[in-house]
Amino acid sequence: MKFNKDRNWLTKRAEQEDRHFISVGGLISRIDPEWQADVSSVPNVEATKTAFVRLLQLARRERRLSLEQLAQKSDVDLGELVKIESDESFKPTPRTIHQLAEFLKLPAKKLMALAGLLKIKDFGLQQASVRFAARSEPVEDVSPEEHAAFEEYVKFLNEQ
Amino acid sequence: MRETIQIIDAQTGAPVDAEIFDEVALPHFIETQAEWRPVILAAARALSQQPNQGLLIPRHFHWDWTRKEAELKLLAVKFYGLAHAGKLQGIMKVETVAHSCRLPEQQGKPLVYIDYIESAPWNIKKLMGALGQPQRFRAVGTRLFEAAVLQSQEEGFRGRLGLHSLPGSEGFYINESGMTPVGRDPHKENLLWCEFTREQAEKYLAGE
Repeated sequence: MKFNKDRNWLTKRAEQEDRHFISVGGLISRIDPEWQADVSSVPNVEATKTAFVRLLQLARRERRLSLEQLAQKSDVDLGELVKIESDESFKPTPRTIHQLAEFLKLPAKKLMALAGLLKIKDFGLQQASVRFAARSEPVEDVSPEEHAAFEEYVKFLNEQ
Repeated sequence: MRETIQIIDAQTGAPVDAEIFDEVALPHFIETQAEWRPVILAAARALSQQPNQGLLIPRHFHWDWTRKEAELKLLAVKFYGLAHAGKLQGIMKVETVAHSCRLPEQQGKPLVYIDYIESAPWNIKKLMGALGQPQRFRAVGTRLFEAAVLQSQEEGFRGRLGLHSLPGSEGFYINESGMTPVGRDPHKENLLWCEFTREQAEKYLAGE
């Protein structure tokens, strides 16, 4: 595509754009209260975030990967990965979750919901996440119980 | 398609490199929902409290972006994204099948239809003004609009372009960009249908 490279053209167009809105397509009559609630409310956010972090830790350890190796293989920023695993209040970027979902072969939307980027509307997912969070511990070696819980949770995420 | 273009840093006034691309994917949609929406909502609330400011809410404020994922696979639909330093600054959706020209001299001919075009809220001067915050980048919408015009030229539509302008945007499309206001569309909330002919598109790109 041959975009205009003239600086004067760009400045003039920017001035024009700043004087208006540019929205097209259609109108709604009011902001839906439920829509407003969507902005901040993610039910059981602590449990699902815990489940998300534990899932990531276990998936990494199952594959015997360091954080650095996982960052490299999934093409995500190492610093962000460290924050995800060490700080449950950290909000990862959508791209990172998408990359991780691809590498771990998990549904991206569900992983985004667990990471707190989407509202969780599925009660089953909430419940399964709470169960998984309760059954896994962030220890160095994966115990048989943790392995079983991990397998069960991954199966649940992929089945629905 | 992925090209480096320039937009303007609103604080320094200097041109800065950005990327415009059509490989829009679900993470971009999530980003708009997660990061744009709270700012838009706050600005919409602030605007609605200003005197003489009738609040008209664009339909896309309500879109559930995660449901738009299916449209990424449609051949007649294309999403464009504009990013600076990896952060999404604007997004546009165009269609090439659902609508045709309405101007008498080109009636019935196929065109590129802009179904959605928006700059991130921190790039919209009026919204940031309502929030008392600085605008981040300028000309983001301009670059997306330019991409739609260029697509029309390159894909055989010869610059023909149409859209339903929201009332607050009519000045931008008619007075500033030179589109022809064809008429109100009773099937589309009485919004104004605006259209580019080949000649108008060429003038727009040339800056006339």
